Amino acid sequence: MSEFLMYLTNGIVIGVINAISAIGVSLIVGIMKVINFAHGELYIFAGYFSYHLSVSLGVPPLLAVPLSVFFIFLIGLGMERTLIRPTYGDEMYSLIITFVLSIVLQSAALLIFGPYPQKPPNWVTGAMNIFGFFHYGNQRILSFFISIVVLISIFYLIRRTWFGKSIRAISQDREMTALVGVDHLRMNMVAFGLGAALAGAAGVILAPIFPVTPTGSSSVSLNAFIVVVLGGMGSLKGCVIGGLVLGIIENLGAAYISSMYRHIFGFIILILVLVFRPWGLFGQKAQ
Amino acid sequence: MGETVAFLIEAKGLTKSFGGLRAVKGVDFHLNAGEIVGLIGPNGAGKTTLFNLVSGIYPPDEGTLSFRGMEISSLKPFEICRLGIARTFQIVRPFLKMSCLENVLIGIIGRSDHREGREAKEEEARNLLKFVGLGGHEKNLANNLTLIEKKRLEMARALATRPSLLLLDEVLAGLNPSEILQALELIEILRTQLKVTIFWIEHVMGAIMKASDRIIVLDQGQKIQEGKPQEVVNNSKVIEAYLGESDA
Amino acid sequence: MKNKQQKRNLNPFWIGSFFILLALFPPFFLSQYWLHVMIISLFYVMMASSWNLIAGFTGQVSFAHAAFSGIGAYVSGMLAVFLGLSPWLAIFVGTGASAFLGLGLGYLCIRMGGIYLSLTTLGFSEILRIIITNEDQWTRGTMGLQTPGFFAEYSKISYYYLFLIATILLLIFIYKIIHSEIGLTFRAVLNDELAASSSGINTVKVRILAFTVSSAMAGLAGGLYGHYLMLITPDIPSLGQMFLVLAMAVIGGMGSFIGPIVGSFLLEILSEYIRIYGEYHVLLFGLVALVMARFAPEGVVGIWKRRWGKRWLS
Repeated sequence: MSEFLMYLTNGIVIGVINAISAIGVSLIVGIMKVINFAHGELYIFAGYFSYHLSVSLGVPPLLAVPLSVFFIFLIGLGMERTLIRPTYGDEMYSLIITFVLSIVLQSAALLIFGPYPQKPPNWVTGAMNIFGFFHYGNQRILSFFISIVVLISIFYLIRRTWFGKSIRAISQDREMTALVGVDHLRMNMVAFGLGAALAGAAGVILAPIFPVTPTGSSSVSLNAFIVVVLGGMGSLKGCVIGGLVLGIIENLGAAYISSMYRHIFGFIILILVLVFRPWGLFGQKAQ
Repeated sequence: MGETVAFLIEAKGLTKSFGGLRAVKGVDFHLNAGEIVGLIGPNGAGKTTLFNLVSGIYPPDEGTLSFRGMEISSLKPFEICRLGIARTFQIVRPFLKMSCLENVLIGIIGRSDHREGREAKEEEARNLLKFVGLGGHEKNLANNLTLIEKKRLEMARALATRPSLLLLDEVLAGLNPSEILQALELIEILRTQLKVTIFWIEHVMGAIMKASDRIIVLDQGQKIQEGKPQEVVNNSKVIEAYLGESDA
Repeated sequence: MKNKQQKRNLNPFWIGSFFILLALFPPFFLSQYWLHVMIISLFYVMMASSWNLIAGFTGQVSFAHAAFSGIGAYVSGMLAVFLGLSPWLAIFVGTGASAFLGLGLGYLCIRMGGIYLSLTTLGFSEILRIIITNEDQWTRGTMGLQTPGFFAEYSKISYYYLFLIATILLLIFIYKIIHSEIGLTFRAVLNDELAASSSGINTVKVRILAFTVSSAMAGLAGGLYGHYLMLITPDIPSLGQMFLVLAMAVIGGMGSFIGPIVGSFLLEILSEYIRIYGEYHVLLFGLVALVMARFAPEGVVGIWKRRWGKRWLS
């Protein structure tokens, strides 16, 4: 029983981090109808940044972490401005460009950071006893709570602030928002940067638990896409629920069915959803 | 004597909703072969949605649609086209990266009678381009055409499918008065020479009133009036519907 | 008068024959190493050209293309190893398997556009790779499946001509499709699927046909590749291979017949030179592909056409 609970808890912890990562993708898809294949690479870069900032440069983690996320935000802005913006309206080319970009970034990561996994230092050490069922690492517990804080902040940003409302409005009806005077180009750039930053945030939160490697980026991207599709494009709530579902299914599946096929569960979910219910759990049924 | 002439196309109780929005509610209409019938109504009245239902882009939630006595409401767009219903689009949609000749060829290829060889098809395509006034533009990419030329191309492509019923969605939008006259002439030729029945949506009131045998008026998804142009234009309900539209 | 003469001189038949004739000579003066490079290039020509058919001509950006070559390779290889089937027959079964799965995948994706289709094909590709890697009692996993070759006596020259013949036949087939009415319907679907359907084109049939034909070709290419290398690994159906194929088509010029051919030779030969300095070719090709997709979507061929006119290439 306690084993099951531990796997379940793993699933939940990973789940909320999945959710953050997925929102990063969902934001960009919603506002620009572009899927950022380079998502996983941004995640990895954030992990490496936080590692090098803390270990190589001795920056305290409290500073290294937000700094890394900020760098990724800037990179995201740059990416949008130079590569994505010119491909508007052409879905095929934005797909191709972000796919190629992901490969380029992956190779760059290999060259810059080397092929070895790196793990930034833990922010806390030790473990706690969870209701007497099992011991659980404090780092994971802290990551969980920080993720919740991040998620709540995002929800607040999107639901309550003017910026968030503009983003939602643009996702739903671009033409109308143009009439109301929303600066599309600027919003797109910022939204892309924000999406990238969320990828980075997920990366820095997870990196102390699971080391980052340049080749791990594909599965990060794919996981994010699976969650977005499962939860429904354009639904924040969907990302959270989807992230949890994926995290739990993967962990329980790996524990009880087959650990070798761990990643297959996600893909099967992806294809099942796309074939039978493409709008996901909470998305809008397109006509 | 009590001879019943079958309608070319007849719809009963057509209803379509998107999410919570009822775009078309219980609309009945019919067209006789050889008629030119206009469809008008304020913005958002459901006119294009109605066209989309007829051409099979999505199925109605309720209601029946029969063409030459055959139920077509569950057919796909290409099947409906092959039965003899063609259309143009509100925002013109030629195949931009293909030449004018190729655009029209698609319409010919789409037909189910594939007996002629490539030469004959290209000949037919060339003739159609000349018919709509685009002779000489065969090799020109559709992307390079002006708006009215694109509309003509779309018309040629639609005619290439040899329709009995042609749905025109705001063909006159963006045309200057002389171009409008040319278009009206073309439409009349379609009726008299090619025996095509025309169902068209228009906002250019003068033109649609002048050229139509009958007008159907939609407002908020429902049919509110139907009759000869003169009757409809003076009808109080119709005037109210249009006045109710915000001064945009 | 002059026009007709020009047309006769530049008739694709003569151009094609010229290049085919040219292609007969390399074994006479190339080293074994460069002959190998040529063979690999021909493999990529088959892959890039067939991917171009589905992505460049019908607009379905499938990421499962390398996976289909993997299916062709593994099915053929496993039949040869476990059932003793001759590779000459086994590759046809492999091609058939790819065609069948391609049809299935195409059908699965039929209600999807753009993003969703790409994601589904991506998922399919990864599922396949995971299965291949894990089911190692059949596939030998990452160690690779050793399979027999085509010829009792190994000869790079024989393989070269085999690949050459296969590539030429494939390209002729693709050329005919592109210039046929079917090719026209492909491009109509690419330009505007809704308008094509409203004009009487059965777009479902068109899309599934493109999927089936292109995956069959990938399967054939994969089968040939596997029996040439005589070692089939999960690298074949990988996203890394998918990227190379995509880069070759994009840099060469998507949507044209010659583009993928040019791209394949260009990139494969370049990567051999770059390899001297290190494994930088992926990064470099990625950057070039990025620049191309951004500034010159019609690829090298497009740039050529713009500068020197259309007369030479179709």
